Amino acid sequence: MYFVADVKENECAKYNCKQCVLFCPEPNCLNFKSSTNSAWVWYDRCKGCEICVYVCSDLLKRHCIEMVMVTPKATAKS
Amino acid sequence: MGLEYVRISPGFEKYMPRDYVDLVKYGPFGKQVDVMQMGQFKELVEEHPMCAGCYMAYFIRVFYAALPNPEDTIVLGTAGCARLALSQAAVPFIYGNYGDTNAVASGLKRALSIRFPDKVKDVVVIAGDGGLIDIGFGMTMHSWFRREKFTTIMVDNEVYGNTGGQESGMSPKGIQLKMAPLGKKFDKINAVELAKTAGCVYVARISPTNPKRIAKTIRRAILAARHFGPTFIHAYTSCNIEYSIPTREVLADARKREKQDFKFYEWMTDEVKEFFEELERKEKQEVKK
Ligand SMILES: Cc1ncc(C[n+]2csc(CCOP(=O)(O)OP(=O)(O)O)c2C)c(N)n1
Ligand code: SF4
Ligand code: SF4
Ligand code: SF4
Repeated sequence: MYFVADVKENECAKYNCKQCVLFCPEPNCLNFKSSTNSAWVWYDRCKGCEICVYVCSDLLKRHCIEMVMVTPKATAKS
Repeated sequence: MGLEYVRISPGFEKYMPRDYVDLVKYGPFGKQVDVMQMGQFKELVEEHPMCAGCYMAYFIRVFYAALPNPEDTIVLGTAGCARLALSQAAVPFIYGNYGDTNAVASGLKRALSIRFPDKVKDVVVIAGDGGLIDIGFGMTMHSWFRREKFTTIMVDNEVYGNTGGQESGMSPKGIQLKMAPLGKKFDKINAVELAKTAGCVYVARISPTNPKRIAKTIRRAILAARHFGPTFIHAYTSCNIEYSIPTREVLADARKREKQDFKFYEWMTDEVKEFFEELERKEKQEVKK
């Protein structure tokens, strides 16, 4: 099990925003999908640093990202 | 080099790893990507073993998205944390001996201009404060005195991060580190002023709080080095491990330091200033068309 960020995509889609995507330290980890107008996390690449949570919750007060525990099996599907 | 080295030979597409195919299809080769589109194209740098929340890793991510000419760029690094990510990118990477980066880059840039006189080949050194301003000090300075035409980027985490926390010339005065418990007795070296005095034609100091500005600074440093002489960027890239910054606070720390001693600063010679004014005028005209 490990700790990763998870975007509540329905919440995120309400805003026109890509801010967290631009501040994640990992490449192609926190991505943006224009078809749903939402950010999404490629779990396998996430290191659980919570910088995205700082951006979304602390700076923007939008609270669209939560940290979750996942099992390697769950991440393999992403 | 050039775009030929990226292309997949016909018939081999289905045998190539998915990440590679994505890179050729959705990567930035041969086009100008906008750093604000990160997360929507395949980035040049891949997964790497730098620590969670490392803002040196973040700076490197933006660096690769900002390269004006990735298919004709060579990156030089050395021992230290940065090379852990630099070596995982789809851009040729040379590992210089610790302290030697700017000597290797000098020879490389000169050789490339002789071998490919009609092509643009960019050479960029990215190394730590220890690699460039302590152990590599002589090589760094002399490459600037000789006016070598490449870019030097110091990713300054104010410590020897890779070897567990020794103090560097760039550590702030008074700081206690794990392997330097007595506290630093001397001031942080003023690298930006040294670079100006030693002959750099473009110099910048930056904290990674604004990707657009990081990209613009990197692009300017590379373009100025192509035409005029050595260029230098001093970037604050915190080490959350050695400075015990909770990872969630890493961006907040970069914003705090920007207000203190890492306020954005950019300096260039008159010649370089004129060059960018002209270039930006032309770019605006292009957009209007
Ligand atoms: C000639 C030489 N001396 C010492 C070392 C050991 N060494 C490896 S990394 C490092 C420190 C790296 O510090 P810095 O350049 O500031 O980069 P950071 O890891 O902090 O990013 C040292 C001393 C070496 N590899 N080669
Ligand atoms: S927790 Fe860190 S690594 Fe994971 S998506 Fe958020 S910013 Fe990126
Ligand atoms: S910062 Fe929040 S609202 Fe903005 S894109 Fe990221 S998850 Fe969505
Ligand atoms: S030791 Fe520090 S500088 Fe090195 S990868 Fe980890 S956080 Fe980054």
